[in-house]
Amino acid sequence: MSDQKLSLNQKIEELDKKVEWFYSDDFRLEQATDKYQDAVKLAKEVEKDLSELKNEIEVLSEDFSK
Amino acid sequence: MSLQSDSSVNFTPTEFIAVVNQTLEYAYSSVTIVGEVASFKVNQGKWVFFDLKDEESSISCFMSLWSLRTPLEDGMKVAVTGLPKLTKWGKFSLTVQSVRPVGEGSLKKAYELLKKKLTEEGLFDVSKKRSLPSDLSKLGVISSTGAAGYADFIKIINARWGGLEIKVAHTQVQGADAPDQIIRALEYFNQHGDVQVIAILRGGGSADDLSAFNDEKLVRTIAASKIPVITGIGHEVDESLADLAADVRASTPSNAAEMLTKDREEEKIRLLKTMNRTKQIVLQEVEKARSLNRDKVERMSKSIIAKYINPMLEQNQEKMRKCLELIIEKHSNLEQLIKQKIKLLEVLNPEKILEQGYAILSGKISPGNVVKITTFNNEIEAIVKSITERRKNE
Repeated sequence: MSDQKLSLNQKIEELDKKVEWFYSDDFRLEQATDKYQDAVKLAKEVEKDLSELKNEIEVLSEDFSK
Repeated sequence: MSLQSDSSVNFTPTEFIAVVNQTLEYAYSSVTIVGEVASFKVNQGKWVFFDLKDEESSISCFMSLWSLRTPLEDGMKVAVTGLPKLTKWGKFSLTVQSVRPVGEGSLKKAYELLKKKLTEEGLFDVSKKRSLPSDLSKLGVISSTGAAGYADFIKIINARWGGLEIKVAHTQVQGADAPDQIIRALEYFNQHGDVQVIAILRGGGSADDLSAFNDEKLVRTIAASKIPVITGIGHEVDESLADLAADVRASTPSNAAEMLTKDREEEKIRLLKTMNRTKQIVLQEVEKARSLNRDKVERMSKSIIAKYINPMLEQNQEKMRKCLELIIEKHSNLEQLIKQKIKLLEVLNPEKILEQGYAILSGKISPGNVVKITTFNNEIEAIVKSITERRKNE
């Protein structure tokens, strides 16, 4: 869930999947609390990323004039 | 070449043409001439011939069809860059390296001609367009890093989203060299394949400034790109053939940044709403379960009452009824007994006996003793004179 390798978009996608479970036929009240806590944890992580993540900009050293 | 007695030099025609060409090359290694196209023709599908003229003069031009990057028609005003040359037949000609339309009319004409040609080839077919990836993390940018349009793009994209790897290919975005540089950058990204989208960016400018994006080879390279291409060139009103060949056209570089990324603030709000909605679902389900259990308990209670309690109560009621009847019966007997006892007591009441005329004698009965005689109405003291036994013989 909180895999460092996941990009921000992948984390959001993962969170959307977790949320979908609550609307699906797979929903079980017995599992809901754990699943909800899990989703909240990821949501906080995504929110942090949204606030803090910066873009990495690299100007290529290749010379395209030749 | 031979030296004469009068010091003049005799050339053969071949030698003279070679010398002239050397002189021309030295003087005009590359010259640009602006004029109007006349007698345009293509031979053998490979060679292009036309005359470049003004009101008074005309120059023959020659080039390969492959080098021609814009459609030509008689009457178009063009800037031709090339090498002046004398042919082996002694005819002066310009070996053309590049041609570009000049002036609004020619630019528009060239644009329309190429658009028609490429449209007929299906280069701009909507069915070929690919969508931008929704999970963008690696982006390739082709632009001039000093241009205002590039700065706008970076500013907007940084404000909107984070965590992106952006590789920038710095190229010219106007002028004769721009198309080839952009083509090389496109080829670079396609060969390295480590970006998901390529954005070609350039801010606003004149029709001539933006004409680089109507270059046929560039337009074909964009259409052939394996990686989806988005263009953000000029302003809203500017439309280039590069825009038509791209998978997605943004109206400006800033708009390209908006189309490529979500807005982080909007995403935060969406996230908050989603989590709140999810929480509500969980709470609703919990309440539903509680209500369901309440109903279950109620149904179970009713069932238990009907099955066990009611029969038990009915049984007890019967017992109680019998018990009560018994009590009542016993009570009734008891009442009779009491009544009898009362009657008996009434009969035995000394007052009643005295009332009937009897008297009670108390004290020691012996001759000379004083005794007390109680009647219904009086108490009498008397002295015992004598005592005779009454029932001696019984």
